[in-house]
Amino acid sequence: MAEKVLEKKETPRKEVEAEQLFTEFKEHSVADFFKKNKQMLGLSGKQRTMTTIIHELVTNSLDACEEAGILPEIEVSISELGSEYYEISVVDNGPGIPEDKLASAMGKLLAGTKFHRLVQTRGQQGIGVSGIILLSQMTTGKPTKLISGTNKGKTVSMEISIDSKTNTPKVSDKHYLENKFKGLAIKCKFKDIVYKKGQSSVDEYLRRTAIANPHLTLKFQDPNGEATKYTRTVNKLPSIPTAVKPHPRGVTVDEMLTYARHAQARKVNSFLTTTFDRFGQTSVDSVSQLAHFDLNKDPRSLSWEEAEDLIKAIKQTKFIAPSTDNLVPIGEDQIKKSLKAIVEPEFLAVVTRKPTVYQGGYAFQIEAGVAYGGKAGRLISVEKTSGKEVITEEVRSSEIIRYANKAPLLFDAGGCAITKTAESVDWKRYGVNNFDTSPITVLVNLISVHIPYTSAGKSAVSDDTDIVAEIKLALMDVSRKVGIYIIEKKREEEKKEKKKVFAKYAPYVVDALVHTTGEKNKELLLKNLSNMVLEKLKMEEAGIKAPEDEVIEDDSVAEEEFEE
Amino acid sequence: MAAKKETKAGKKHEHKGLDTYETETTREIEERTLQVAKNIVDQIKRGTSPTFTTKVRGLSNVYFDEEKKYIQLGDKQVTRPFLNLGAARKFMQTMLVNDKCNEYLKEGKTASIREIYYELKRTVANTKENTFEGQNESDEVIVDVEHAVNTIREKLGLHAEAKGSLYGDITLKDRKHDNDIFNCNSLGRGGWSIMSRIEPEEIEIVDVNADMVLVIETAAMYNRLIEEKYARQHNAILIGTSGQAARGARRLVHRLRYEYDLPVIVFTDGDPYGWYIYSVIKSGSMALAAHSKYMAVPDAKYVGMTLTDVETYGLQNVTERMKDGDVKRAKELMNYDWFKSKEWQSELKLAIDKKIRIEQQALANKSLDFVARKYLPEKIEKEIFL
Repeated sequence: MAEKVLEKKETPRKEVEAEQLFTEFKEHSVADFFKKNKQMLGLSGKQRTMTTIIHELVTNSLDACEEAGILPEIEVSISELGSEYYEISVVDNGPGIPEDKLASAMGKLLAGTKFHRLVQTRGQQGIGVSGIILLSQMTTGKPTKLISGTNKGKTVSMEISIDSKTNTPKVSDKHYLENKFKGLAIKCKFKDIVYKKGQSSVDEYLRRTAIANPHLTLKFQDPNGEATKYTRTVNKLPSIPTAVKPHPRGVTVDEMLTYARHAQARKVNSFLTTTFDRFGQTSVDSVSQLAHFDLNKDPRSLSWEEAEDLIKAIKQTKFIAPSTDNLVPIGEDQIKKSLKAIVEPEFLAVVTRKPTVYQGGYAFQIEAGVAYGGKAGRLISVEKTSGKEVITEEVRSSEIIRYANKAPLLFDAGGCAITKTAESVDWKRYGVNNFDTSPITVLVNLISVHIPYTSAGKSAVSDDTDIVAEIKLALMDVSRKVGIYIIEKKREEEKKEKKKVFAKYAPYVVDALVHTTGEKNKELLLKNLSNMVLEKLKMEEAGIKAPEDEVIEDDSVAEEEFEE
Repeated sequence: MAAKKETKAGKKHEHKGLDTYETETTREIEERTLQVAKNIVDQIKRGTSPTFTTKVRGLSNVYFDEEKKYIQLGDKQVTRPFLNLGAARKFMQTMLVNDKCNEYLKEGKTASIREIYYELKRTVANTKENTFEGQNESDEVIVDVEHAVNTIREKLGLHAEAKGSLYGDITLKDRKHDNDIFNCNSLGRGGWSIMSRIEPEEIEIVDVNADMVLVIETAAMYNRLIEEKYARQHNAILIGTSGQAARGARRLVHRLRYEYDLPVIVFTDGDPYGWYIYSVIKSGSMALAAHSKYMAVPDAKYVGMTLTDVETYGLQNVTERMKDGDVKRAKELMNYDWFKSKEWQSELKLAIDKKIRIEQQALANKSLDFVARKYLPEKIEKEIFL
């Protein structure tokens, strides 16, 4: 639910979910809680869990900085303590959290962790920093170390753990530091996770995060001590998405009931106009005519059947399309700058499409970029046989970078509408003969108040017709621009290649002729030949075919005759 | 005339004289290779795209001459320009080979086709490629030059390895080797190793005392017949080709047929490969279609092995199974114009239907001397040819 750009107060559903989860959490052991919700929490698989931890911590820092109007600078480091045992630390330059609120902000599961924030944009899993702290505690039995510094007061350091029975933080080793520090530093240990390189690695997650956040400076030190730094290319913070009410068209019966149960309004009709976007008096009139019960009743006593009836009536009622001005794209220039700095392609094209609405009634917007050549794509090792030897060669192949609200999607690539759409593009038309083996980085960012994921894992976007169509249009737009470049480049290369072919053989031809005929003016022959080559290439460029361009007739002897 | 008769003619067979084929002098051929190069120099000087013209080979330009009964090369020409990406490399290679042949002729040298390959192979400057990557590349270009200057490679100073053997009462003179004179029935059991070039200016046929030429596919059968003294008893000249007949063996068969009027009888394994050996002797080959006139012997006869022999001589239990490739080849043979006779069609059909083949040496199933004592004498005497 995290990706919903919803103000907390207006999303009673979230509260309920938290309550429910927490009840569950109290009833079962901590381990059970994580196990049961593994998929949903992004904790299935050792590598994925590692990525989820990094995601939660980095997102928390990014959001804090942006809300405080600070250009974010985040340092991530991972060190290996043992087999599948790591220590992760994330340090930001954000506003920090005041000492008195630090423990409760970080150490209370699913409650108040985002107290200093109004809206949440990137969150994908919604497990929160407290969930991460709990996961650390659960797998290692060790507390998490926090250091916080605000502009006021001293820099505080403490260790916290969470009492799972009462859902309260337990503070230990609290002390003050002499060093001046502003921001939040968090350091925790985990077992049963693994760090490895590749498409779904932390490295890749951070690289993609840096691409989507050109205003971010990000440093990373991996367990081998290798350091990577992404320096911000934009010195302006993105605007913060404003809160928005849900559009009636996208509401399900279940959601309607949840909203109704937490309604402040006394009557269903006022509940509708206050809870939903674009729900005016005209709409209420229409719905009340279509519904089979009195809309003056208390929304809290709404039955399942009545809620169903309401949804039915809503479906038959016309609504103004949802407002789209609350969507905040990364921006064409910003994506260009970060792709240029991080991917280092030869050529790139980026488009931010106009926002539009998809079937459920949610606003969404697509951003797409294609970077070609240079260091675009990813390096892969390919085994090649050269004679009897097998040599491993590093070659560039295509990559598709997916984002949902700027948050990188690293898993389930095959099942994602973004991947499928990118692969369905007729790349050949744009001069890319083999998409898979070309140096191409394709970027797609889907921005919406409600991302239609394929599953609770929230790692892939489902095939919504409107979304797929928009992605396709966006990709075609940028591919066309890149295609013009590629085709022109290929033409240039071909020309050079041709010139080379003639140039390398010409001296041998002339030497042989001079030797046979005793011709004295060798220089003239060489000069004339080279002029003819240039002339021919010029003509070719002008599209004029010379007689020698005709296909040479195949004169191979079809028969194998075993003759000497 | 390149060769003059120096000794008396054979007892039975008068020498019939040479064709114009052998009358071109080395100078003439040298002049033609020079002309090829001169034309191209002129083109370059005039600023026109340089091209090299030769004849198209392969099925598209090969036809069966019904009148002459052998394969001929058509008139289709191919022009190979230098300024064509696909042709530039071959153009360069052609110039190298043409130049080298010109040099051989000028200096009176000869080289094997493997030697010219090595002589011309070098790394193209500033690249990782060679002027020739393999002998197959230079071999192909040699054929181009042959056709462009309208001669055979032997005239260009090139020759292939010796292949095939000759045995029988035939006296030769090796003019390139101290004018050695020798009779091929007194060189021991192996006979004489046939040179790749047996043109009169190198090998002179001094005397022939025989009634026929028997061309044998396998070396083993050639040796068997020598051991059984078949040549002496039946007044035959034996030519063992060791597989497909090389140019030298073919020229020798041709010369014996037309210069000494000897009938030619071919004896191969009973399979598509063996039958094609016969076909090449009789009608020429596609690769040398231009030279059929000096290679093909249209009235050559085929004595065996045939699938009819299997029945006649009770060889059913010594046949071999034909592989898929053999069957495919047999089907191809059925389509060649020179296999269109009723007898050949039914023989090929039988082979395809039964999927069997029979080797020459399967005759040993009867007894080692069966082939010399019974099979060949009986079939040749009664003229049971296919």
